[in-house]
Amino acid sequence: MAQLDKKMIKYLAALSRIAVNEEEEESLLKDLKKIINYVEQLNEVDTSNVAPCTYVTQSVDKTPLRKDTVEKTLTRETFLKGAPQQIAGMVRVPPVMKQETKQESL
Amino acid sequence: MNHKLSATQQHKSLVDGKISAQEILSQYLQRIERHEGKLDAFLSLCQERAQKQAQALDEKRKNKQPLGKLAGIVVAVKDNINVQETATTCASKILKNYVSPYSATAIRLIEEEGAIIIGKTNCDEFAMGSSTENSGYKLSRNPWNLTCTPGGSSGGSAASVAARLSPVALGSDTGGSVRQPGALCGISAFKPTYGRISRYGLVAYGSSLDQIGPLATHVEDIALMMEVMGRHCEKDSTSIPKGPDDYTSLLNKPIKGMKIGVPWQFLQDLQPEPKKNFDEAIKALESLGCKIQEVDLSILKYSLPAYYIIATAEASTNLARFDGIRYGLRSNAAKTLDEVYDLSREEGFGAEVKRRILLGTFVLSAGYQDAYYRKAQKVRQLILQKYQEAFGACDLIATPVAPNPAFELGSIKDPLQMYLEDIYTIGLNLAGLPGISVPSGFTKDKKPLGLQLIGPQLSDPLVVQAAYAYQEATKFHNEIPEAFKE
Repeated sequence: MAQLDKKMIKYLAALSRIAVNEEEEESLLKDLKKIINYVEQLNEVDTSNVAPCTYVTQSVDKTPLRKDTVEKTLTRETFLKGAPQQIAGMVRVPPVMKQETKQESL
Repeated sequence: MNHKLSATQQHKSLVDGKISAQEILSQYLQRIERHEGKLDAFLSLCQERAQKQAQALDEKRKNKQPLGKLAGIVVAVKDNINVQETATTCASKILKNYVSPYSATAIRLIEEEGAIIIGKTNCDEFAMGSSTENSGYKLSRNPWNLTCTPGGSSGGSAASVAARLSPVALGSDTGGSVRQPGALCGISAFKPTYGRISRYGLVAYGSSLDQIGPLATHVEDIALMMEVMGRHCEKDSTSIPKGPDDYTSLLNKPIKGMKIGVPWQFLQDLQPEPKKNFDEAIKALESLGCKIQEVDLSILKYSLPAYYIIATAEASTNLARFDGIRYGLRSNAAKTLDEVYDLSREEGFGAEVKRRILLGTFVLSAGYQDAYYRKAQKVRQLILQKYQEAFGACDLIATPVAPNPAFELGSIKDPLQMYLEDIYTIGLNLAGLPGISVPSGFTKDKKPLGLQLIGPQLSDPLVVQAAYAYQEATKFHNEIPEAFKE
């Protein structure tokens, strides 16, 4: 049985890279507790000699490997059309490392 | 009058020169103009693109060039399937301004055969839901009862077809998302064997469960769509490496002697009205000469908990790609790289998507992965085995599609209770099986109900054949909701 508390919700939100506020933490905790309690009924099933199912159509075919060759894909121009911000033909992001001089804000 | 015909018949009218592609398209655009305000089935229309397509078809016909198998068939597409140069939002704010740079394989295939894509339909955000109420943009309504939900997650697609705003639509089905809205809107909807239609260009939710599927007023239209879409694609490594199947020539073959299994024990909680309707559907199959027998699928009691572990685990991984960096929404409040991630995802995702990402992150996290995720994968294996055993004794399995007819918008607030709406559809996704939802009549207050026919993996043509025989024997598919007849 999992110990679900606000600390855990904060941890999961950090792993998921989603900022959550106090109010959301509360409702997420309530919902997740209920759902996890529900899914724990799987413990009633004896799976001691069962292998996990990783690929459902395995009996039909094995996953093929593709050739490791360079193929034509989206052009840089097409790709950049979707980028929220760009600079000199590249996707622009806020500074990753701290700089000593004052950084121009994005 | 064209909208009362099947897509197959509309295509024939075009080939026979009785109507032009531009006329067909303009009739549907007029219907959308007249009725869409009541329904909110669409998120965007691609009128210009559609008109070009129709023009090209008419040009081809004039020059006596061959027309494709789907020429003149108008198709609405769920907004989680990429159509080049059109918006693809997945009904999520995080993709508000996203324009697809390429088309999904399924889209490429149907367009090559002359299908005309008319617009993108509303759905639950990233296909997570059973009522389309989780859309980040709008609520869609059920054509049979405008205060009710069309079901979900492909609710806009189902509403569009039921209201005859398009004869055919595409949806995606991860746990019942084409079959359940199909049933709630009184139309047919098919989830193929896992891997039968390429997932390339379908925005991923639960990759080991997702399948694109057609929704249509007539089963024969589903057969036609499957002949075009159901083929191998190198861009999806889980695509089944087999050529397309023949569906249409099987349609008129009798299903006499077919053995149909019914998991009565699993269905024991069915409410009186859906139960009566299901009993009648079974009788109709019997009168077609099918042999009905009981099968044991009591394991399916565990399909929902297994699904909500596996699907959310996969979703938490798949949705990591929405990072505010390369495409989609980037929060204006973000000053640092970390904030780009945290705030863009906080602003862009709705409550259900966040819930599922966190749940998926939990079941995969250190210390819990074996107890939850691996356990669910083992139960999935057992479900697969039990279905295989059942199919050792019968050709197809029959169940209702959903436990309830369409419910009022806003009436289900508890996420867990909403999940239970998928109790009869979810097992198929876990086992990769094909299944169809076909109209089986109405409740006393004229809400549609659906029969689900399920086959073993790769028996897709057989499933469609049986559904066609049932449709022709019962004719519920000819009913059009009152407000959308003209």
